[in-house]
Amino acid sequence: MYEQLHKIIETKFQVPAEEITPQSTFKELGLDSLDLVELAVVVEQEIGVRITDDDLIEAGRLDAAVDLITSRSVAA
Amino acid sequence: MISPAPAATAVATATAARASEPAGKTARHAVICGAGAWLPPRVLTNDDLAAHLETSDEWIRSRTGIAARHVADSGTATGDLATEAGALALKSAAESGVTEVDAVVLATTTPDRLCPATAPDVAARLGLPEVAAWDVSAVCAGFLYGLATASGVIASGDAERVLLIGAEVFTRILNPNDRTTAVIFGDGAGALVLRAGQAGEPGAVGPCVLGSDGASRDLISVPAGGSRQRTARDREDYYFQMRGREVYRHAVERLTDCSLAALARAGWRTGDVDRFAPHQANARICASVAKRLNITAERRLDNIDRVGNTAAASIPLLLAEAAADGRLRARDQVLIAGFGGGLTWGAATLVWPELTAFAECGHR
Repeated sequence: MYEQLHKIIETKFQVPAEEITPQSTFKELGLDSLDLVELAVVVEQEIGVRITDDDLIEAGRLDAAVDLITSRSVAA
Repeated sequence: MISPAPAATAVATATAARASEPAGKTARHAVICGAGAWLPPRVLTNDDLAAHLETSDEWIRSRTGIAARHVADSGTATGDLATEAGALALKSAAESGVTEVDAVVLATTTPDRLCPATAPDVAARLGLPEVAAWDVSAVCAGFLYGLATASGVIASGDAERVLLIGAEVFTRILNPNDRTTAVIFGDGAGALVLRAGQAGEPGAVGPCVLGSDGASRDLISVPAGGSRQRTARDREDYYFQMRGREVYRHAVERLTDCSLAALARAGWRTGDVDRFAPHQANARICASVAKRLNITAERRLDNIDRVGNTAAASIPLLLAEAAADGRLRARDQVLIAGFGGGLTWGAATLVWPELTAFAECGHR
């Protein structure tokens, strides 16, 4: 799941791969609140799990977002 | 003389007319033959707004792509902008030999008054006495709904030539203290003249795909002033309100889906689109949808940096401007799409004709 999210952020949001770590906050990755809306849409389309931009804002960091998405996909 | 038809009936008429028409040459079809656009002269830059709102030029540009917007003076209402753009579209149509219209359709969120509709006044001021005239209300999808309506009355034979206008004085309903909306919207008007013609002609308007989601009625609204809530204790309820991030998500998804549906109905692939002219809501939404449709940046038309989000006016304003400055050329295959309060959405294809468009800005 981390790998998928990493790839999405690298390719769809043009963040260099070396700048993306599990502990990266979305702010550090240069993603603003509208980018998080986009990210939520892409996660739903490519990973099949429905999350909102509010979920991502609350998660704040990549590893927390991965946990959230994983738990939602298991529950589904 | 026709009776004003609700948009849904007009769409059903258009669909039925197209379903029953014989393939090919003889069926009536709406064809564009004139285009005009008008902006009020006063310009408000991001720095002007930052002088009294907690915002900045950099924040506004990065979030929305907007650098400036035009604002109507206090004595100017939507009908005034609609009349100016309508006159320019009629001037454009006259150069193609069309000198009369028998219906005026005005798409707007900001009519001069709640009652009556603004279109009859615009028709009277344009010297079009007693023509059919009505408003269409679908916020930022208004022009698509208006186009379906206008195409429909032409296809059914109820009108020969329609002046279709999108016009807004959106700044008049904005909360000056709400930095999330006050920086986004601007004023302006655009208009097309449609005549009866044939499906294969340059200027022919393709199928319109429309949709709505009333469950999300509260995402974009002016809560008070209508029959649901005539007066409000909280002054904020008289102003436009929008839940921006939720709207952004709905907009990206619905615009993409209805654009694909319109392309499919027209039998076009995304590679067949020469120009994409989406409603100019936010530069990032437009870029996101274009990317999802595989439409590259050089095929996109835009002007949001200079005019902001002009709601129902945005598409005709963009088309007329782009035709006037050469970004939009005869025989270009164009995809238009809009999304707005309701929620509502729509998309359509069209082939731009040879015409002289007039896009002007008022003088101070």
